[in-house]
Amino acid sequence: MRIPAVLLSRPVRIGVPGAALAVFLLIAPSSFDGYGISLMSKALALGVLAVSVSILAGYSGLPTMGQAAPFLVGAYTAGVMSTHGHTVGVLQLLCGTLVAAVFAAATGLVAIRTRGVAFLMTTLALGELTVTAAGEWRSLTGGTDGMYGITAIQPLPGMAALSSDRSIYWFVLTATVVVIAVVWWVLRSPVGKLLLACRDHEARMRSAGHPVTRYQWLAYVAAGALAGFGGVLMCTVNAYVSPDDGSFSNSALVLLAVVLGGAISPLGALLGAGLIVATQDWLSGPFPGHGPLLLGLMFIVAVYALPDGVAGIRFRVPKRRGGPA
Amino acid sequence: MFSSRVSVRLRAAVAVGAVTALAAAGCSSSTSSKSSAKGNAPINIGLITALTGSNQALGPDHLNGFQLYLDTHNDMLGGHKVSLKVGDEANGGAAAVPVAKKMIEQDHVLAIAGIVATPTIQAVVPIATAAGVPVVNTGGRPTVKDVSHLWTMSFMSTDPGASMGPYMAQNVPGSVYAFGPDYQGGYDQLRGFTDAYTKAGGKLANDGGKATFTPFPNTTDFTPFLSKVKASGAKAIYCFYTGQNAIDFVKDWSQSDAKDIPLYAAGFITEGGALKAEGQAANGIITTMNYSPDISSAANRQFVSAWSQKYNGEAPPATAMYSWDAASVLDQAIAKAGPNPTPDAVNSAIKAMGQIDSPRGTWQLSADTHVPVQKWYLRKVEMDGTALANVKIGDLATIGS
Amino acid sequence: MGAINTHFVPALDGVAYGLLLFVAAAGLTLLFGIGGVLNIAHGTLFALGGYLAASVSDGSWSSAFLGLAVATVGGTLCGGLLAAGTLPLADRGHLPQALLTFGLSLVGADVLTTVYGTDEHPVVIPKSVNGTVQIFGHVYPTYRLMFIVVASVLALVGTYVLGRTRAGALLRAAADDREMVGAMGYAPWRVHAALCGAAGALAGLAGGLGAPIIGPGPDTADKVLMLSMVVIVLGRPGSVLGAFGAAIAVGEIETLGVSISSNWAPYLLFGLMAVALVVRTFRGSSAVGAGAAAGAHA
Repeated sequence: MRIPAVLLSRPVRIGVPGAALAVFLLIAPSSFDGYGISLMSKALALGVLAVSVSILAGYSGLPTMGQAAPFLVGAYTAGVMSTHGHTVGVLQLLCGTLVAAVFAAATGLVAIRTRGVAFLMTTLALGELTVTAAGEWRSLTGGTDGMYGITAIQPLPGMAALSSDRSIYWFVLTATVVVIAVVWWVLRSPVGKLLLACRDHEARMRSAGHPVTRYQWLAYVAAGALAGFGGVLMCTVNAYVSPDDGSFSNSALVLLAVVLGGAISPLGALLGAGLIVATQDWLSGPFPGHGPLLLGLMFIVAVYALPDGVAGIRFRVPKRRGGPA
Repeated sequence: MFSSRVSVRLRAAVAVGAVTALAAAGCSSSTSSKSSAKGNAPINIGLITALTGSNQALGPDHLNGFQLYLDTHNDMLGGHKVSLKVGDEANGGAAAVPVAKKMIEQDHVLAIAGIVATPTIQAVVPIATAAGVPVVNTGGRPTVKDVSHLWTMSFMSTDPGASMGPYMAQNVPGSVYAFGPDYQGGYDQLRGFTDAYTKAGGKLANDGGKATFTPFPNTTDFTPFLSKVKASGAKAIYCFYTGQNAIDFVKDWSQSDAKDIPLYAAGFITEGGALKAEGQAANGIITTMNYSPDISSAANRQFVSAWSQKYNGEAPPATAMYSWDAASVLDQAIAKAGPNPTPDAVNSAIKAMGQIDSPRGTWQLSADTHVPVQKWYLRKVEMDGTALANVKIGDLATIGS
Repeated sequence: MGAINTHFVPALDGVAYGLLLFVAAAGLTLLFGIGGVLNIAHGTLFALGGYLAASVSDGSWSSAFLGLAVATVGGTLCGGLLAAGTLPLADRGHLPQALLTFGLSLVGADVLTTVYGTDEHPVVIPKSVNGTVQIFGHVYPTYRLMFIVVASVLALVGTYVLGRTRAGALLRAAADDREMVGAMGYAPWRVHAALCGAAGALAGLAGGLGAPIIGPGPDTADKVLMLSMVVIVLGRPGSVLGAFGAAIAVGEIETLGVSISSNWAPYLLFGLMAVALVVRTFRGSSAVGAGAAAGAHA
């Protein structure tokens, strides 16, 4: 079967799923129960994390296995703020994003020096170290039992606390739309093209005088900030944070989400995260204990069936000293 | 060219898939929400346990104990046919949040049983409490802020150590070296021991007089930790380990410099599959537990024979007994909650429950902490016939308040 | 003297544990360093080897050797499957292969627990090596002492095969230039299949040999994968000697390091890995990075 050219054109490819998603996100809650709605909130929070991975893996050619670390930092920031009585949602989002950005700025100094698989491994190691630290720093994080019974937030000062899954959903949706719109706008601007150019033609960009490493460090910090934003949302959805939120498998799952959605498509990353949440938490419902099996099959199918999605994430050529840079 | 067309089609499929899957996830409630009980209509009970992740070695016993009770009681609790909704808590904590929400919002369960890891308790109990659904917990039990809907069938995490501490202070001629895993449940277990042990006049042999915590879950080799025991002059070891850690610790202990130093432990170290995997290495270990399969009572004989019939003549682990008790408590509470039981009525009925007749002996729930007030037993691993078993050698204190 | 006495057993154990890590990581470093496949399912192959060895073991020497044989054959077969699965991805860099093998490891874990349950499976080893021996007044497990000898022999054989034989030379050549090896008349898919099969065999054998120390259970695959990754990152991927040195170093850190200061124990493994990666990158000789480049270009 041949697909008519018009169906492959960019407006159709992005517009149709985008519109379908928008309609779904707006209409669905009215017919869903609390469980369905909270799954959607979770998918959105994880989706924000997936978008941050797509900035790194897709746009910057830096496939990360540790993006759950800044996500965890954001979630704990929100948790700590709530336990100290700071329950304004917007404030938590700002602080969580900021703290995660600072965290990424520091770890980025280390990680950004490495390339390719070394970057994958370094981010994996940083992620595991963050999870260990979260479990050990008991006075702040509550240790391995996590922070629990986290107070419900109020979106803005003076507003009522979000007491239902539905109201939390609208808050998470609004926050997600705002932050994705900002990301979209930035990536459509010359910044996105610059990142892609650095990814594909690093040597040429360097010789043209571009500080490629600094660009990538900034992308790493921005992605970390975005992951922190997602972490705050996740804390709001679950009212619970524990070191396990930063686990290696979370990092790998969002990488899969990006692969499913196409490496350089924020919308695709969101949809990929939705599919993962649906598989892990809903589809596996009738087969308790076999969630990982379904996810594993998804990984396998995705690798063969979505070559563009996978190939969109390319390893960058490591710079070599004394080489023809 | 071909591949890009395929991938466009597939990506469209991904989008459609994600949307329809989530839509179906939310909508399927409309069919199940109308199934609330009329007369002796079937009821739904949730059971959360670890079927994957770092606690999966412990998970199946929670399910099997509950299922065994249903099998031997015509699949009924309190006169209602039961549909058991099983959920996986995976590594514990946040992973269990959607599981609990689904049970409450879509399955409209009367109660949630099970829960292995303490982070899962912390994540699930606030949700269940807000919905008024009782949680009948069969795994570890941490300190919880609001226990109004939490009922523990096992023990408080500090109880096993608290029962063993005074005994070791009196019977070990010298200091004790204490070990535990580096997570909250481990701290609670060891705190229970060290507090009771030092209060009874004992002295820890560890460096700095504090229990040693081994990294979790990455410790596979305990030899370096054990090599310090001999040098410390300790006359006994006390530890709390479960699952794979328990097996590795016992094997390493039995082949180390410390092998002549007696090993005392919370009973999980030699429960069920762990004892089988440890084999002769476990011979002689002394443990404290609120259960031993050789307790002679009618309730225990019924439980042990049902279990060994179903599982190749094996002795039941304590965890399965907690789950059996959870089913038994729910059975009585649901019967008292009237023909149309609600979660609230079940919760009140559990609260009003007095003495509970159980395979472990009779016990009752503390009005304060909702944890059993129960007797602890001293057990020793010995050959019982052809296989190693945890044999009861004495009684320890009754603990709980 | 007293300090040496206290740390003697941990130091000796570090050698045994390090050699175990070396044997466990050998298949991974071979496949990654030479074949360019980052095999996340490596730990699953190790666990499979352990389960297979455990299932035939009855305490006799013949069953012990049979167990090792079965584990090796099982690992080789799964390596063959891996070869078939990764071949179509050969020119797409590391990430698709890593994602594929991650998926395979999730599926494999489910299959293993379905078949073998969630309890750890004990391996019954022959009586004569199941006890302990006295070394300088310390008690030490006989099996681990024997393991030190067997693993050392394996390391020597590995170095010899890779460095001194025609097959080894061919594999090393394939890592540098696949097309050249193809021009020599060896089909690339054959080299790839041989590598995957050999890596699978090594992983299975390691699982069988290591089972009395890291017994096959539901956690085994993850633990072995993480430890092996640390080892191959520290050593140069594909270098037998590098992996050997790194494995011994990690072994000593996990035993002697813990014995000297246990406060930092939780951070040791991954802290070391991060430091090694960064130091090497700053020094501009990133072996791992170079491996990545080879994969990206291939």
